[in-house]
Amino acid sequence: MATGTASAPRTALPGLPGFLGFLRRPAVGKLVLLAVAAAVLVPLADSRWASGSWPGALTVDLTEPLGSASTWIIDNRDSHPLFLYFFGHVSNAVVLAVRAVYLVLLAAGWAGVTAAAALVAWRVAGVRLALGTAAAVLTCGLLGMWVPTMQTLALMVVAVLASVALGALLGLAAGLSDRTYRALRPVLDTMQVLPAFAYLLPVVLVFGIGVPAAVLATVVYAAPPMARLTALGLRGADAGVMEAVESLGTTARQRLFTARLPLARKELLLGLNQTIMMALSMAVIASVIGAGGLGDRVYQALASVDVGAALAAGIPIVLLAVVLDRVTGAAGSAGSAAPAGEKPEGAGSRRTGWAGRADRAGWHSWAGRPGWVLAAVAALAVAVAGRLAGRLDWPETWIVTIAEPVNRAVDWMTDHLYSGVPYVGGTADWAAHFTTGVLNPVRDGLQWLPWWAVLLTVAALAWPIGTWRTALTAVLAMAAIGVLGVWQPSLDTLSQVLAAVAVTLVLGFGTAVAAARSERCERLLRPVLDVFQTMPQFVYLIPVVALFGVGRAPAVAAAVVYALPAVVRITTQGLRNVDPAAMESARSMGATGWQQLRQVQLPLARPALLLAVNQGVVLVLAVVIIGGLVGGGALGYDVVFGLAQGDLATGLVAGAAIVCLGLMLDRVTQPTRGRTRKGA
Amino acid sequence: MSTTISVQEAAAESTGAENTEPVFSVDGLWKVFGPKADRVPADPELAALSAAELRSRTGCTAAVRDVSFDVRKGEVFVVMGLSGSGKSTLVRCLTRLIEPTAGTIAIDGEDVRAMDRARLRELRRHRAAMVFQHFGLLPHRSVLDNVAYGLEVQGVPKRERRAKAQEVVAKVGLEGMEQRRPGQLSGGQQQRVGLARALAVDPEVLLFDEPFSALDPMIRRDMQEEVIRLHGEEGRTMVFITHDLNEALRLGDRIALMRDGRIVQLGTPEEIVGSPADDYVREFVRDVPREQVMTVRGAMRAASAEEAGEGPALSPEATISQAIEAVARSGQTARVVDQGRCLGVVDSDALLEVVAGTAGTAGTAGTATRSTRSAGSAGSAGATGPVGSAREGVA
Repeated sequence: MATGTASAPRTALPGLPGFLGFLRRPAVGKLVLLAVAAAVLVPLADSRWASGSWPGALTVDLTEPLGSASTWIIDNRDSHPLFLYFFGHVSNAVVLAVRAVYLVLLAAGWAGVTAAAALVAWRVAGVRLALGTAAAVLTCGLLGMWVPTMQTLALMVVAVLASVALGALLGLAAGLSDRTYRALRPVLDTMQVLPAFAYLLPVVLVFGIGVPAAVLATVVYAAPPMARLTALGLRGADAGVMEAVESLGTTARQRLFTARLPLARKELLLGLNQTIMMALSMAVIASVIGAGGLGDRVYQALASVDVGAALAAGIPIVLLAVVLDRVTGAAGSAGSAAPAGEKPEGAGSRRTGWAGRADRAGWHSWAGRPGWVLAAVAALAVAVAGRLAGRLDWPETWIVTIAEPVNRAVDWMTDHLYSGVPYVGGTADWAAHFTTGVLNPVRDGLQWLPWWAVLLTVAALAWPIGTWRTALTAVLAMAAIGVLGVWQPSLDTLSQVLAAVAVTLVLGFGTAVAAARSERCERLLRPVLDVFQTMPQFVYLIPVVALFGVGRAPAVAAAVVYALPAVVRITTQGLRNVDPAAMESARSMGATGWQQLRQVQLPLARPALLLAVNQGVVLVLAVVIIGGLVGGGALGYDVVFGLAQGDLATGLVAGAAIVCLGLMLDRVTQPTRGRTRKGA
Repeated sequence: MSTTISVQEAAAESTGAENTEPVFSVDGLWKVFGPKADRVPADPELAALSAAELRSRTGCTAAVRDVSFDVRKGEVFVVMGLSGSGKSTLVRCLTRLIEPTAGTIAIDGEDVRAMDRARLRELRRHRAAMVFQHFGLLPHRSVLDNVAYGLEVQGVPKRERRAKAQEVVAKVGLEGMEQRRPGQLSGGQQQRVGLARALAVDPEVLLFDEPFSALDPMIRRDMQEEVIRLHGEEGRTMVFITHDLNEALRLGDRIALMRDGRIVQLGTPEEIVGSPADDYVREFVRDVPREQVMTVRGAMRAASAEEAGEGPALSPEATISQAIEAVARSGQTARVVDQGRCLGVVDSDALLEVVAGTAGTAGTAGTATRSTRSAGSAGSAGATGPVGSAREGVA
């Protein structure tokens, strides 16, 4: 009976009226228009620049001017006033600040740092997190990574402080002035979708490889979320409250400090949380440009495919990420009395599960001063005690070396799991099959396509789901890649992205449908997703190298693993947030579970699905680029090569192409203005 | 004949109230939203257009059109209308939360539109405080700090403002909840906080913007009684916006009924119900239980000599329903007595006419009873004269 009702409308005669109706759909109209334009333009273009790849005539070689620019900068770094009086000071200030923080951390000793971290966590987030924090910090020491951890921490502290200050200022300006907001918003939106690697080269060009470049790249990467969320929070203040406050005769200053800022508290703390997470992510990646610390250990280990050493440095990164995320997340939700239903636009879906914790964590007024004083005194006491006991450095005897056993395990895996496992093959076999069966055909197909066909496809994808504006940006970005002369490697990267996105979406949507339909499944998934989403991109490279060796397939695998949690989470939420009344009415008409999913949930969750695709694409691109470090080749490799060889021109061109590719992929999959941050 | 004179005297007495200076005096007020809004009030042709025509011709929306009224000291002045009638815009114009397009607003004779920022802040801080439909409380502050907020803004020291806030919190019946957050309160309690916040600054006028519309009916009734009680205790001037006719009739000393940005009728509840200015108002008040709104003052006729000496006594403000009870109980005509003088009498016929609504279209009949009654209603119309008819001039 139910099937009969559902399929009844379909029995309407197909044919002419149906076809006319089909034509009248806006998406089809756009495509027809595009086809007409293509019919006119393509023969013209093809006759002039007939070429499978991007025509050489349309390429501008930037290597020469970029090379001379970088040479000029290197030559003048010590003499030109711009460097002497501006960049030089910035650079020195950064070095001094990082050094000072590092020395303070060392002076506090391992006991002092552990105590301070645990006590801060206790005040902000309660006893359980405090214990977890202490355990995490001690684990870093146990793994023999105390000094690199402190180096990374010192760099992060400086970068986070600078990011927060910069982001808050920009956010304040954008939050209070409409014009600034309109000017800043597209910039921030775009910065959100660019892969971290794109930020490295410009700073290197100015500051050279070293700590200042690393810190500044981190600041540029981590400040936008703070700015975005500050602006959003300030602008999102309840209009009714603001009116009431104004009706009491407040001055503009009073309105800002007593109403607008406190009302935006949740967004501000969320911004802080995201800034910290992104700073960590970038501080690790910036090891490529001389950040030192944990990231550098991972980078060096990966370069020699020493999985054990990479893991020993990778675990502290993960622990730091989890601890920082939990503690700042708890600070954001504690004591916020705002109704849980109000979610800031674009604040990211990953926080939704946390709203419930607000009430539980609200027991302590975390502004309570005596507690803080107590915590500070206790931390100081532990630090002094550690000093007096002469135990500042982590004791050598307490180090557990895991590199050796891990490498033995990896060797065993290489011997037994890489290939020749009966029936299932081996991981290396899979990787090889994936490369020959999927990656190569896609890459060759893309590179075989005439260049105008690629542009047309981009337009045809972007226009129907977006506006003509997004479509135009996407086409122009793609064309710019050609103009830069990196058409072939970009298409190589693109093929990896497409393959990874396809795998991510299949796995992600499947998991999400299961999670949305079963409460238990979601409960099991949630903590896993929570942890996975907090980890820096870099860390994902370690396990995939262990499993699949090096090459393009592991890069794709890392991208899939990185993007999967975000896709699953957004999709699950979209499916769960479908209007219960619509679901109920479908059930009341006797729809089967499959019918409910296909006819009600999926159509109604369409915005969430599109958003998931968009996020998936952006996240996948970020990691595919980083995959250049483990043999992913293409654009990512060009950047690394440029850095390693001091050939900044190659690296910069590749960086620009990454920016264009990111822009193109984002615009092609951008359905609406509402978007979340990149997952970091 | 003496009784007829006394009716007129009674009418003259009731006019005494309006000799006091108005608190708010609004004249020819316009608020037009849209591009180049200024030209609409200035151009008589545009000003005369209907809302739809105005929008298609100029792209503007006139939320308030040529509104004039006075709010007298100590009265509850209700502005009532359906959603979109411009009432909320009107009340925001009074303290320039929304900047008016044209017209004058004066508070105690001082021109509000001419005030500079500091002076305007002063007005908002000390002279007019507002209660909002959606409360507008600060979610991160406790009840006590919300109530004290207005004083904090004025720079009152902490101890002092806390003490004052405590006092007001007690006054609105929120003792024991001082340390809660607004999110932990029910809607009715939140609105009590909103009311307390407005009261704490001890304003000359309280402005209410549909304060109880978001509340459940039972709570709404409680809150209305709270307002009536507060008004009885303090006698503070109130401007009350509502879309609920019953609320308007319960609370209002005078009611301005708005439609499409204009005031279509301004008068006492009795006048609005008893003599609607046009069909719109008539339709509006059709279902009102008239016997509970109309008073015997409007239904009485001159007493004959023997009638003046016996029968139950009623005050002129007694409702028809009270009179019906008195007449039914005694089986006689009831006397309307004010300060020991008999102003007139009501009999069952007159009362029935009021209930049936046939008396509302009065003024045409020629019998002795009727003419006295209409003299009375003319008198009370005269009471609101300067405002009700001369200035309003819209209907």
